[in-house]
Amino acid sequence: MPLPAAIFYYMALASVVSALLAVTRKNPVHSMLWVLVLFLHVAGIFLLLDAEFLAAVQVIVYAGAILIFYLFVLMLLDLPDEEARPRFGNHWPFAAAVGLSFAALAWLPRFEAPAAGIIAGDARLGSVREIGLALFGPFALPFELASLILLAAIVGSVVLARRRAAGS
Amino acid sequence: MIVPVGTIVGLSAVLFGIGVFGFLARRNIILMLVSVEVMLNAVNLSLAGFSQHLEDPRGQVLALFVIAVAAAEAAVGLGLVLALNRNKPGLGVGDLTKLKW
Repeated sequence: MPLPAAIFYYMALASVVSALLAVTRKNPVHSMLWVLVLFLHVAGIFLLLDAEFLAAVQVIVYAGAILIFYLFVLMLLDLPDEEARPRFGNHWPFAAAVGLSFAALAWLPRFEAPAAGIIAGDARLGSVREIGLALFGPFALPFELASLILLAAIVGSVVLARRRAAGS
Repeated sequence: MIVPVGTIVGLSAVLFGIGVFGFLARRNIILMLVSVEVMLNAVNLSLAGFSQHLEDPRGQVLALFVIAVAAAEAAVGLGLVLALNRNKPGLGVGDLTKLKW
């Protein structure tokens, strides 16, 4: 097996294992740290797929901002008896069946992907320049809408988490 | 191409299934939100795989938008968790029975 393929299979195995550990650990902080391991391995797979910019965004935004935000909220809340409580609901076999059947459904057509080159790309893939041109060319309107969504999320989370002033 | 695109789609399917299981089975509301992040990551993985397979940068642009929406979802979701925790301490979804008749 050539070295890049071996690296890919290591990354794939490590991400599946860390995802499984993340959804089954009892301590929520341990779960978060396993999700961090998962995100870093997925960033490695992005690098192997020639998506350097996506890998950088994955590390900076996902692992660096979103996950730290989750950890922050988790540690803000006082959860003394979290480890004593059952981690799964009584319905967990049904949840496992749903997850397994969905994975099987999405797994089945995996070798019937269309042949390469259906949509002609003219520049070398994975270059940041190409993504920037796409973002500010054909995707300019969705890009601006994304900033609007982020603004709405900022205002919404401030309104939701604000402590009501006395008497209001 | 290092591995065929089918392998990447299969890996993405497995990760998505794990995320679905975590979302449906966990009782802690923050870990349910984290399972949603695992699912979104699986989708990003298949988007990047198809982007490489079809030699089209639009897949990566879509993955960027998914990441932006995930950030917004995390902000609003955790704001809701804080507001819920203020009204009723604890993070178990089984305890939130106020709307149950």
